[in-house]
Amino acid sequence: MEIKGSVVLVTGGGNGIGEQVVKYFAKNGAKVAVVDMVQKNIDRVVADVKAMGGEAIGVQANVTSEAETAKFIHATLAAFGKLNITVACAGIIKDGTMLTLDKETGKVSRKLGLDKWQPVLDVNLTGTFLTLRDSAEAMVNGGWPGLLVTISSVNKAGQVGQLNYSSTKVADALMPKIIIGEFMMRGIKNIRCVGIAPGYTATPMLTGMNQDALKAILADVHLGRLVEPEEIAKLIGHCVENEAINATTLEITGGLCYPHGIAK
Amino acid sequence: MDQFTYNDMTFAVAPSGQAWDIVRKLPNGGDAVVGTGLFPGVAANDAQVRALALVKAIYPVGVKIVGPDVAHATMIGDLKIVGPDVTHPNFIYWDKDSVSCPQ
Repeated sequence: MEIKGSVVLVTGGGNGIGEQVVKYFAKNGAKVAVVDMVQKNIDRVVADVKAMGGEAIGVQANVTSEAETAKFIHATLAAFGKLNITVACAGIIKDGTMLTLDKETGKVSRKLGLDKWQPVLDVNLTGTFLTLRDSAEAMVNGGWPGLLVTISSVNKAGQVGQLNYSSTKVADALMPKIIIGEFMMRGIKNIRCVGIAPGYTATPMLTGMNQDALKAILADVHLGRLVEPEEIAKLIGHCVENEAINATTLEITGGLCYPHGIAK
Repeated sequence: MDQFTYNDMTFAVAPSGQAWDIVRKLPNGGDAVVGTGLFPGVAANDAQVRALALVKAIYPVGVKIVGPDVAHATMIGDLKIVGPDVTHPNFIYWDKDSVSCPQ
């Protein structure tokens, strides 16, 4: 599939990886729907697309809602008449260990609450499901060539303090296999699905953190630096153009290793 | 720049080269972007029609349908009175204009 002339929908397109995905596709001649919770982020990203001479719409929406998902799919079709590529970038973290012990008594002093569990599942898992489901519905009914992209994480392997996040990201990594298996079963041939599992990425969340902690993270990265969001966007672009990539999740980590060796 | 009102919101459609930019005019005087570089080569009248269709998709007129809250029924004798459940996730969009804002 060619990027030029295709229509791309990006959730979480207002910042971080999603923002760079929007700009990459706009720069390469695609029409883009930018979906985000924050209107001022949408305004900024769409203004950047305008400066490139690109074509974009912005839709403020919550990916956890079925009605709002339907809204941004309908808006994309109303603006551009088709949908080819959906990248489900919207994601959040709310870290914490399942149990915290009192240092003096050794008894449980705090449990990971549903206030930290449920929103992460709602956005990262249910939001991705709804976005892919309704995008696939439009692609099947429209008969357009399509690509569905989930954003997983290298922490799908299981990261302490991220029982919620890692649980969603392992599910996001698995989705391409299940979805394509179901497409085979149902005779749907025009849509592919891939997952992207980034390692430590240069988003504001990481670049703004304690620099000593960042240095400790980079000590385990063979490349010696964070992965740039633009590099993730380029990988997604490659997945669009290389039709053999399908039903799998690709890691892009710069060579993330366990301390003192062995790639994760 | 042409403006139109839909569901108590004002939108502006302005040419941008051979295409069109659409913004929502905010009560504070600012703008919220709807789209840029849209409908290339389309004439002004058609652009406004397509802009209206687009903003109807992005800002649907909504009627919230709430389900019965069976967990908190009010009992009057053996009669169970079931009220609305304000936490019910159902939200059904109505794609027709309201009487106060006809097309």
